[in-house]
Amino acid sequence: MNQLAEAVGFGLVDAAVIALAAVGLSLQVSVTNFINFAYGDFMSFGAYVTYAANSAGLNFFPSVAVGAAGTGLLGVASNWVVFRPLMRRKSRTLILLICTVGLSFIVQNAIVMIWGPNAEHYSVTVGNALHLGPFLFTPGDLILIGVAFTLLLMLHIFMQNTKFGTALRATSNNDDLAQACGIDTGRVVMWTWAISGMLCAVAGVGLALETNSLRPTTGFNELFVVFGAIILGGIGRVYGAMIGALVIGILTEVTAMFISPVYSGALAFTVVIVVLLLRPQGLLPGRGRSA
Amino acid sequence: MIYFIADLLALGAINAIMAVGLNLQYGQAGILNFTYYTFVAIGAYVGAVTTMGHPPVPASEETFILQWSLPWPVALVLAGVVAGVLGLFMVLVVIRRLRSDYLAIVTVSLGFIVWDLITNYVPLFNGANGLFNIPYILNGATASETTYTMEVFGVAMVVLAACIWVVRSIFRSPYGRVLRAIREDEVVAASFGKSTTSSRVWAFVLGCVMAGLAGALLVFYVNAWNPQGFLAEESFILMAAIVIGGPGNYWGAVLGTFVFVEVLSEVERYLPNFGNGALVGAGRAVLIGIVLIAVVRFRPDGLIPERWLHWYRSPLRGGPGGEAGSQPQGGRRGRLGMPRLGQRGES
Repeated sequence: MNQLAEAVGFGLVDAAVIALAAVGLSLQVSVTNFINFAYGDFMSFGAYVTYAANSAGLNFFPSVAVGAAGTGLLGVASNWVVFRPLMRRKSRTLILLICTVGLSFIVQNAIVMIWGPNAEHYSVTVGNALHLGPFLFTPGDLILIGVAFTLLLMLHIFMQNTKFGTALRATSNNDDLAQACGIDTGRVVMWTWAISGMLCAVAGVGLALETNSLRPTTGFNELFVVFGAIILGGIGRVYGAMIGALVIGILTEVTAMFISPVYSGALAFTVVIVVLLLRPQGLLPGRGRSA
Repeated sequence: MIYFIADLLALGAINAIMAVGLNLQYGQAGILNFTYYTFVAIGAYVGAVTTMGHPPVPASEETFILQWSLPWPVALVLAGVVAGVLGLFMVLVVIRRLRSDYLAIVTVSLGFIVWDLITNYVPLFNGANGLFNIPYILNGATASETTYTMEVFGVAMVVLAACIWVVRSIFRSPYGRVLRAIREDEVVAASFGKSTTSSRVWAFVLGCVMAGLAGALLVFYVNAWNPQGFLAEESFILMAAIVIGGPGNYWGAVLGTFVFVEVLSEVERYLPNFGNGALVGAGRAVLIGIVLIAVVRFRPDGLIPERWLHWYRSPLRGGPGGEAGSQPQGGRRGRLGMPRLGQRGES
């Protein structure tokens, strides 16, 4: 029982990281309507830019801000250079998907070229583990959960209470109609890439902190866990993604504790497949986009 | 030097078989299979365990199933069959319900699960260490390296010719037209009474059989195989090569694979390893990514477009380019079909 509680606690930390990434990806998918295979590498990129800024002497939290800004810019740039022209030409989803794979190649290997293939570490310590009730957290974990919660709350307020948030939701619902209502959908798409980039950079940093190592493949390896979360929550549904992240995070940690950590990756993939086949609209009621 | 060229040709021919198979799946049937290399790996493993017999040295600690010692042509056929059967299982499970891009995610996921299983379950194919000392085919045990390479090249060319003959027949047959119709618009094809599911299933299975054949040939040639040989990246590179070469056109697929899988990796092998030790390999991948995106952006039909295959009936249709729909419609137009105002470069 104690072990189970600990696993759930680790799962919560995982879930915080996955939720940031999943919400970012879900936001982008809901507006652009294609899945992005390069998203995992965006996570690595954000983590590496943070690492670079931190190594250059900046404090840790400002470095994270630099990483987030850099990744936001990367998202906007890739939209500008790659996806916008293709969307305008009304390319098929398949083509866009292949382009995201190409982008993933470029980003991941550019990271190898710049920072090298070996694992790096942040020069911050996460502190010693504390017992909080039945859970076992480090202070770093608690900060991570706090940051994730704050960012998601801010995003919620932004989406619901600002004019731009309304425009974003309208675009994701029906972009032709949004455009007919005078919404500049191009601008909305651009800002979506920026926000999703920033969120995934923070997620990438969290991932690197949590696993205590940063490799060029760190983000790509996590990508399918993130896919699992957004598929569980219903593709393109931002709030579903949070719940999906919670389920996947706790599920993988509990399996790792009780079956074998070797198979926890395979479990995430199995969840992806089973949910896509049996309930493609996600676990929450309502219409999804996958069928 | 002769060995170098022979090696390039042999690997090129084997990769071309994969290209033709994947192109049947993606180019003709429009199924995005991001785990094609998993089927190559299955073919390789089946080819290995059906020819290796019992481990030569008892202390070598290789554990794997079957341990048959069949003649290699039988093993080759068997590899194709097993890969095809696995492909059939996979595609039957996923193809009915999913939109094409989610199908792609499922293929990657299934590939990862297979990879995980093979890597971690040692009794199957010796786990992460993989299989080695796989026997040579023909007279490879006694012949010189160059001779053996030429022989493998010959065998691979025969298989490649057979595969190209098959896809060429499919391309020109009514079945091929149905496949292309489904690729362009599934609903329209279905409304003409064509069975969209079974057409695509068979194209997928045939592509997997070719993957299995290529995998077995590869393992006969390189004599060792382990899970590092079929990472997800391999499938992605192969897919990129096909898109660059010209999806739908088997010659384009062969060309793309030869240039982007083969020649680039040879160049990588012979470049001095400077920088941080992985610079050259990473540079190759970046290059592939950039070329892929540039081709999709500026030459969406690939370097050798599919329409060039229609030359043989061009008199009726007024020049090449008979098939409709391979060109995206409504190029420089706004979302609602009206020309957008204020765009640079057109007025």
